[in-house]
Amino acid sequence: MWKVYKYTLLDLARNRFAIGYALLLLLVTVGLFMLEADNTKALISLTQVVLALIPLLALVFTIIYFYNQYEFTVLLAVQPMRRQSIIRAQFMAVSTALLLSFLFGVGLPVFAYAPGPIAWTLLLTSAALTLVFCALGMLIAVRQRDRAKAVGIGLATWVFMVLVYDSLLLWLMFSFSDRPIEPVIVPLAALDPIDLARILIMLKIDLAALLGYTGAVYQQFFGSSGGMFVSLVALLLWIQVPAWAATRVFTRKDL
Amino acid sequence: MVIPFIERLNLMDRIAFEDLGKQYGKQWALQGVNARFPEGEVVMVIGPNGSGKTTLIKCLLGLVKPTTGSMHVNGMPVSNDPAYRVSIGYMPQLAEFPRELTVDQLLRMMNDIRDAKTSDTDDRLIKLLNVEALLAKRVGTLSGGMRQRVSAVLAFRYRPNILVLDEPTAGLDPVSAAIVLDAVVRAKHEGATVLITSHIMEEVQRLGDRVAYLQDGHLRFSLPPGAITDVTGEAALATALPKYLAQLPQLHVESL
Amino acid sequence: MFRGALLLVLATCTGLVGASVCDVRPGHGSIRQALASTNGCDTIIIHGGTYNEGAITIDRAVVLLGQNWPVIDGGGAGEVLVVAAPHVTIQGLVVRGTLVSDMNDNAGIKCTSVSDVRIIGNRVESCFFGIYLSSVTRALVADNRVIGDSTADENRRANGIHLWKCSHVDVLRNTAEHHRDGIYLEFVTDSHVGNNTTAYNARYGLHFMFSHRDSYTHNLFHDNGAGVAVMFTHEVTMTDNRFEHNRGASSYGLLLKEINDAHIARNTFADNTVGVLMDGCNRATVSNNRFVANGWAVKLFANSTAAVFEGNSFSGNTFDMTTNGDLVLSTLRGNYWDRYRGYDLDRDGKGDVPHRPLSVFALVTERMPYAMVLSRSLMVNLLDQSERLVPTLTPATLQDTAPLLHPPQGPESRTIQRAELERGQRTAFPLSLCASLMALLSWWRFNGHSIH
Repeated sequence: MWKVYKYTLLDLARNRFAIGYALLLLLVTVGLFMLEADNTKALISLTQVVLALIPLLALVFTIIYFYNQYEFTVLLAVQPMRRQSIIRAQFMAVSTALLLSFLFGVGLPVFAYAPGPIAWTLLLTSAALTLVFCALGMLIAVRQRDRAKAVGIGLATWVFMVLVYDSLLLWLMFSFSDRPIEPVIVPLAALDPIDLARILIMLKIDLAALLGYTGAVYQQFFGSSGGMFVSLVALLLWIQVPAWAATRVFTRKDL
Repeated sequence: MVIPFIERLNLMDRIAFEDLGKQYGKQWALQGVNARFPEGEVVMVIGPNGSGKTTLIKCLLGLVKPTTGSMHVNGMPVSNDPAYRVSIGYMPQLAEFPRELTVDQLLRMMNDIRDAKTSDTDDRLIKLLNVEALLAKRVGTLSGGMRQRVSAVLAFRYRPNILVLDEPTAGLDPVSAAIVLDAVVRAKHEGATVLITSHIMEEVQRLGDRVAYLQDGHLRFSLPPGAITDVTGEAALATALPKYLAQLPQLHVESL
Repeated sequence: MFRGALLLVLATCTGLVGASVCDVRPGHGSIRQALASTNGCDTIIIHGGTYNEGAITIDRAVVLLGQNWPVIDGGGAGEVLVVAAPHVTIQGLVVRGTLVSDMNDNAGIKCTSVSDVRIIGNRVESCFFGIYLSSVTRALVADNRVIGDSTADENRRANGIHLWKCSHVDVLRNTAEHHRDGIYLEFVTDSHVGNNTTAYNARYGLHFMFSHRDSYTHNLFHDNGAGVAVMFTHEVTMTDNRFEHNRGASSYGLLLKEINDAHIARNTFADNTVGVLMDGCNRATVSNNRFVANGWAVKLFANSTAAVFEGNSFSGNTFDMTTNGDLVLSTLRGNYWDRYRGYDLDRDGKGDVPHRPLSVFALVTERMPYAMVLSRSLMVNLLDQSERLVPTLTPATLQDTAPLLHPPQGPESRTIQRAELERGQRTAFPLSLCASLMALLSWWRFNGHSIH
């Protein structure tokens, strides 16, 4: 498995989309810091951009790379090696490439301009999001034979998670505002990995406001490090489950 | 010439299919295939488009999980254990490799995956197909024919005793095609069993120790080309085949 | 030499020229004896050591001067030092050992119905009330450290510096920590509270009611349970103070309730759940303050009228301004809002289009606090942006007609570091790092074991 990982990564290191991804992130990040005099403010703007951008790019990149590699994947599957080693190596290689690009494009400038707890949280949650959407991309790609369809599903997934789900949540809150729905809101939000990442960052930026609530659930969730822990565990599940599902589908599928 | 049945008993079966079938949705791509291919034989797998040639090959390679039946490779039943594929070399119809790797890196990667030492590998084709000149190039810069040459090298490199070549000459220039077919004959003499899909009847007749004909997922017959030409009285397989097929009862006649 | 000069100053201050001095040391006389002596001992120098004399009542004009921090321990009997005469000065003592009581307001240093008192440079430690002035006129409470018992339950604590029905009192440069309220004033008029620091008090850092014509300047109020609350008062001046890190469900940088004609200027409000809450305040001028990284910078209730916000700077707040009604009778002009996205074509430093500081999302969370979980999501951003373009839900009158494009140069250019605001959460990173490593490893193992 490490052999495939090594060479796939070697291939990705020269991949112009991976390099383009890193440069795009660098451009966005440095651009934001240049335009905004206050670095903390720029960092907060950056978190919002990154939270939307990372899932989209990770998803699309993973899907497209999987299809570009398809014939080679077949050739690998013919070799005396397990299918799960192949997909695991590919998942790890793609996520490593995306993470390295991200560290270069966002991590470096962020630590140059505005080091601190928000920077760490941003880095960590975005790294987790990268893995989540890499895993989701894999899952979509292995389930779908048609590349265009897979990219379409990927885009739809992204729009749903970044926008539609939150709108549904807000609609739910409005519709049931006269009932005690408070306890279910946080768990519902945790079902969306982008929301989870956002909440983790919010715990750093908006803690003062978050502590303004009297609701017991919120106090428990936001008031202690428990909220952070629960969110992290949920994010890990978001990596694990799609990655596991993708492996399962891939090992049983006809290539 | 028909090889006497008695003679064949002494030979080990490299590949054996028993009641092999594959269903896609409601469609049976392959059904009830029984066949044995002994060592040192070149088997030409032919049939119209959609007859199940690719499915049969993919089953053997472990790319497709059969719906029914079983397979034996080198006397061992094929299971989920990928180890049996050590003895298989495969040259796909269209080869794609990671675009940003050099050919040299690609060869090394395959060595790593196969746990092969350079001393164990068969590098004759590297010289013959002039892949040496390509070693420093990136895969992305190669033409289709160049990639096919690299692909041929990889298929033969680990001295497999089963070779699966999917339309090997289709994407190659005539000189390279001849070299690859020579390599097939050589591998056969070294004891390998070679499965080749082809549409070129001259090639089939010249190389094939056996012709396996698939139609609508069924293996209609598996015979030496000589047997077909003899029965029909035609010298060329290309003309003999339609005649022979016309004589066959429509269904469920399979020869072993 | 120093002691002589000090005595001279003190003697001059107390207006007793040619005062006589007597000394008290542990084992050589007692404070009670010295106070009771009739030979005109005007200044009692108390030398280092511990004095367990129970409650001591000072019933004549005298200077109590500690040398090398003598400890006056009341032994938990009740009060410790009780001033019952005018013109008393207490300086340089360590006071401890009050009785915690539900019946009596026992204090470390208590002055009742007197005038011209000075309480300077003392350490009042773990007392129930710290320094307690009741019906006192003309007093100076300065440079004291009043530190309560941080382990005590909230209802076992009382106020650090407590003033009731006083006038003309200066409360300067004191530190009050771990009490119930740091500084408490009720019916205190014409007084000044300056350069004090109150922190870690269970309830309020500063709390006053019915205390008119007072001024509060250059104080630092931080990490108090409920921040600062002031009520039912007119003509208050609060300038150059800092209100920081007051976080919680009912915690405010500054809570103003029924305050008329207040003047609030050049203060810094940072990292509070609510920076300033104005409830029933009339004619307040809020100018040149900095609001940084608060949950809500300003909550302006609709029952507040004619407030003027001018020259303030709002940056990094979750919400800059909210209100609970449709009609806002206050004026905003020339403030800096970091959310302002307008332009300045005539280059006069002021935006050409008005800024509406009240976002739709702020209104939504006002109604459904749990909607906060959607803060900073793309959906909320789009919602706020569209409202900004076509205002439909937010009150039309609440707008800054001339928003500043650059933050005004405040009196304090000290930037508040985020890192400073995030104390106690540094463990989060290594924890998360370990967790993500675990994730990768477990995925690995999970796959390794699941198939075979």
